[in-house]
Amino acid sequence: MAAKDSPLKQFEIDPISNIELGGYNISFTNSSFAMLITVLVITLFLTLTVNTRSIIPSRMQLISELMYNFIAQLLSDTVGDNGKRYFPFVFSLFMFVLIGNMVGMVPYQFTFTSHIIVTFALAAVVFIGVTILGFINHGIKFFTFFYIPGVPFYMHPLLIPIEVISYLSRPISLSVRLFANMLAGHTLLKVFAGFVVSMPFFTGVFPLAFIVALTGLEILIAFLQAYVFAILTCLYINDAYHLH
Amino acid sequence: MNYKNKNLEELGKKIDDLDNQNKEPSIKNKESGAGFGFKISTEIIAALVVGVGIGLIVDNYFNTKPIGLIIFFIFGALAGFLNVYRVMRRIEKQR
Repeated sequence: MAAKDSPLKQFEIDPISNIELGGYNISFTNSSFAMLITVLVITLFLTLTVNTRSIIPSRMQLISELMYNFIAQLLSDTVGDNGKRYFPFVFSLFMFVLIGNMVGMVPYQFTFTSHIIVTFALAAVVFIGVTILGFINHGIKFFTFFYIPGVPFYMHPLLIPIEVISYLSRPISLSVRLFANMLAGHTLLKVFAGFVVSMPFFTGVFPLAFIVALTGLEILIAFLQAYVFAILTCLYINDAYHLH
Repeated sequence: MNYKNKNLEELGKKIDDLDNQNKEPSIKNKESGAGFGFKISTEIIAALVVGVGIGLIVDNYFNTKPIGLIIFFIFGALAGFLNVYRVMRRIEKQR
């Protein structure tokens, strides 16, 4: 199969303008372009829709307010009163992932969340931030997070490494989940799109119908994964406040 | 129903009435079996990746070729089960 027909072609990074700084390649790529569009869409949508500030909201204003309420509710449910100050962070993260996934659903548009380095960077920010937060709140006592009370003392040499590994695996499971879902979904769409043209006569209609259904499912997954990313961030923030 | 009312109090009343009508929680966590399996498997794989990574680093550092990898692989697998247990407990709590 020619490389240009590969279902994985869509994930290739193409530099739009080559920039090199101090030996590092910091080119502005199609991935950066997708991120730029995402940020622009979020900023424009949120500012324009809430601009009128009417008490009886229009439909568009209602969408913005629903998203705001959704994350505010999530934070107050999982973290409690302490959660309010993390609202800007969690909301930005949620919107970036959600709109990033949605921008990726537009045909010919690049999906930056299908690259593990992007999702891992987001997860690493959450992980490092939450760890620092734990140390700020509890100081050196934060290490008791890995110590399970009520266990015989001779079990601790076994349990503490397990707890530490479990803690360190958080950013990996967080990033892999988002990345693999987007990668698998978009590859599947392209594979079935290939069937449409390669099947004889009118039978290509069936994969086409399947693609339509699959696109709906992909939009659901795009939302679900953004939600999972946000709720896990909330749970980790909660862990930094309440050990055990 | 007619919603062309500009009176805010009446509108508030209407909203309250509608809220009372559908008391059921609107967001239900409906997840497919594949999604659930995927969630569980990423938890195990992530813990194994961390365990194997630590094992390889330890081996490289202390020159104890297979022992560190073996020990931390087992720790990683156990941590994976712990992760799965935590996820299950969280799901049970939501019900």
